Amino acid sequence: MTISVWRYSHLALAVSSFLLLTLASVTGIILAFEPISQKMQPYRVDAVSQLTLAQTLPVLKKSFAEISELSVDANQFVQIKGSDADGKNLTAFVDPQTGKSLGIPSPQSEFFQWITALHRSLFLHEAGRFFIGLTAFLLLLITISGTMLIIQRQRGVRRFFTRIVRDNFAQYYHVVLGRLSLIPIFLIALSGTYLSLARFGLVGTEKVSPNIDFDAIQAKPERKLADFAVFQNTRLADVQTLEFPFSEDVEDYYTLKLKDREITVNQITGDILSENRYPTAVLLTNLSLDLHTGRTSAIWAIILAVASGNILFFIYSGFAITWKRRANRVKKNNYSADESRFIILVGSENGSTFRFAQAIHQQLLKQGEKSFLTEFNNYTVFPKADYLIALTATYGLGDAPTNATRFMKRIEKYPQPHPVRYSVLGFGSHAYPDFCQFAFEVNQLLARQSWAVPLVDIHTVNDKSPAEFGLWAEAWSQQTNLPMPVSGELLKAPALPLETLIVTSNTKTAQPDGTFLIRLRSKHSQEVTSGDLLALYPANDHRERLYSIGVLDDELQLSVRLQPGGLGSGFLHALTPGETVHARIVSNDHFHFPKKAPVVVMIANGTGIAPFLGMISQNKHRTPCHLYGGFRYRASFDVYRDFLEESRSVQKLTDLHLAYSREGEKRYVSDLIAQDADFIGNILVTNGVIMICGSLSMQKDVIALLETICQTKTGKSVSFYQSHSQILMDCY
Amino acid sequence: MPNLLKIGLVALSIIVSRPSASVAQSGTTQYKCMIQMTNYMGEKAYIAVSLMNGKGTYEKTLYVLGSDKKWYPDVKAWYKALGKKTPNLSAITGASVAGGDRSVIVLEIDNSKLNKDYKLRFESAVEDKEDHAKDLEIPLTTEGLSAKSEGTGYIRYVRFSPNSPN
Repeated sequence: MTISVWRYSHLALAVSSFLLLTLASVTGIILAFEPISQKMQPYRVDAVSQLTLAQTLPVLKKSFAEISELSVDANQFVQIKGSDADGKNLTAFVDPQTGKSLGIPSPQSEFFQWITALHRSLFLHEAGRFFIGLTAFLLLLITISGTMLIIQRQRGVRRFFTRIVRDNFAQYYHVVLGRLSLIPIFLIALSGTYLSLARFGLVGTEKVSPNIDFDAIQAKPERKLADFAVFQNTRLADVQTLEFPFSEDVEDYYTLKLKDREITVNQITGDILSENRYPTAVLLTNLSLDLHTGRTSAIWAIILAVASGNILFFIYSGFAITWKRRANRVKKNNYSADESRFIILVGSENGSTFRFAQAIHQQLLKQGEKSFLTEFNNYTVFPKADYLIALTATYGLGDAPTNATRFMKRIEKYPQPHPVRYSVLGFGSHAYPDFCQFAFEVNQLLARQSWAVPLVDIHTVNDKSPAEFGLWAEAWSQQTNLPMPVSGELLKAPALPLETLIVTSNTKTAQPDGTFLIRLRSKHSQEVTSGDLLALYPANDHRERLYSIGVLDDELQLSVRLQPGGLGSGFLHALTPGETVHARIVSNDHFHFPKKAPVVVMIANGTGIAPFLGMISQNKHRTPCHLYGGFRYRASFDVYRDFLEESRSVQKLTDLHLAYSREGEKRYVSDLIAQDADFIGNILVTNGVIMICGSLSMQKDVIALLETICQTKTGKSVSFYQSHSQILMDCY
Repeated sequence: MPNLLKIGLVALSIIVSRPSASVAQSGTTQYKCMIQMTNYMGEKAYIAVSLMNGKGTYEKTLYVLGSDKKWYPDVKAWYKALGKKTPNLSAITGASVAGGDRSVIVLEIDNSKLNKDYKLRFESAVEDKEDHAKDLEIPLTTEGLSAKSEGTGYIRYVRFSPNSPN
């Protein structure tokens, strides 16, 4: 929730100040070149950093008829004011070592004068100064809210400078450059704000006149200028100005202004008459001027120019991001929520998930279906809905995106009047630790609703992968018998050519529940891993059937249950060894055997055991594996028994727990898990991985059970482990 | 001829031995002038120093503190009378002065105007603040040019001393 507060204020501040900010940045860039051009003038003498006033003053006095003031500017150019031998007014840069005149200061160029006035006051005097000051303050707030957004995006201050996930050009560089120029921009804004406050007298910078006791002024002992202790101890580089006594009267004195104080000095004895430290407000004003103008350092001036340039880029990219986000919002629906059969819910922070939702929506409309697309927060009762598709991103630490924050409450408030088949599709990036966590939570939440019927297992899409989106589309299409061709825009990868596979064996139906095993060998040894999917086109049309692959002895083994009138299962059942099949191997990375897990728990029911058979067979490193299997009859398991017993004897499988639902104690695999709750909880705590494959109803039970186990044993939720790839699922 | 030479030498010696420096050949005298500002808050002040005749009309600009011509109209009375007509002020222009600071300038004044019912007027203006047309007026007399004169606006006081280099 807080994310949106910062984002809205960041945007609102930017909108309200961008015109003046643009003007201030452009003029600021130009003004940065003033100190740079000044520093290139040849009036700086290196000796200025070592010489003291006591060394310089006698030299200068000898060279110039009359000096009224000596000043050392931000460029460390030494300048004197006075009069020349003819008594005319004189201002000159001098060499403090030799007393030679180096040149006459030229007045500030009219161009820079003009730009400075525009930058400070827009030529509007007091009103202009106020608006510029306000703009500086708004920039300060923008910087702060931007920093908060980066901290939230990066999940914490300590990860502030870690990698940024690239969404698009504007977003990526807005964040990258934002981090880099954060400090200079913050200083520009802060010093600008302070200078405005000082200008309007809101911080006390009033001057204090020296308080001199004229009755106590001594005219003796007379000392030479070079012997004045205070001048001997003052380096020229520390001097701002030295005002010379107006006349030779003993009551006229030297006024020495240093960076932090003002000292008055008796012109005859060299005694200090008074010393005033400047108030902090004055020191801060000077520091702000140094920081805001870059007058003391050419390098800092360049940094300021670059930072100002960045502000212009932020204005551009910030609005580009906003336009994009707006453009991706829900457009007008053709059908109302009340009449639609298909409901598409979208949870999106920056709008990219909308593209996918729109693709689905348009596809359904094209097929003449009534489809309604809306944000999660608009969830309500959908009286005619048969299908619910929930697409969502995750934001922050596994939180809901801004437009999905109210979903949790609304789903309890608006139960659907009749069963709705749902499917959840999560969008995210593995670059973040909480991959698709909110999608997992939505999936769990839906699973608990009595009206909700799972249609296909939750799918995730990493970095907008068209292939992964395609995987969901295929699965969904298979269940609904509605074509869901993924448009070329989303699916850039060309459809892979079909693979030719030769049937090597087929057990045919031997079990009462119709389960059989079929093995295929690829003609070309293609890269395939247990957990991948085999896509078959039994009728040579758009209808696709997906089967989980177990790789055993370099062959693809499928475990299939013959369904009465089943298109895919009937086709496979009829195959005999030697026959060839055309199919496609679909990589299914999220359900591969984990490479690093200390221990793996496999939970399957029925034919869901197929990928696990392959994984166990390939478990060369002897990673401890615990298999929990649920079957209808003891006989259903017979096809796997020999292989698993053998695997156990060579430690590829650690142990085996079985439940039969239609004979004996009539138990389900979830009962086995409930029994071993402590063990399962411990697996998750010690970074073990739980893999689930089988029917969606089994998955629903097991996940509900795991939720309880997690809450009580680990204090975290299932979605946490799902998003951290410790609970992997592939169900149908 | 020798007499003529003598007269010439005497004449020359008179010319050479005239009071040095403070009186230039054109019949003007240079005065060193210090303007001390009050501790007011705000932008740097623009100050015009003008010569006024007995009728109170502006006669000549003696000095302008402030170099950006954009702000000259702010020094209203002076600008109306002299400022916009004076084409080349750059020889008698210096920097503007901030509150609490002082500025030392050299004024060159025609000897013929001294002790003859003329006045020096200091008009001061600060951006977005009140303009002081008569911040300070000093009678152009030997006495007036030796005293310390208090200002009424942004100027605290003005002091003079004859310009005597070395």
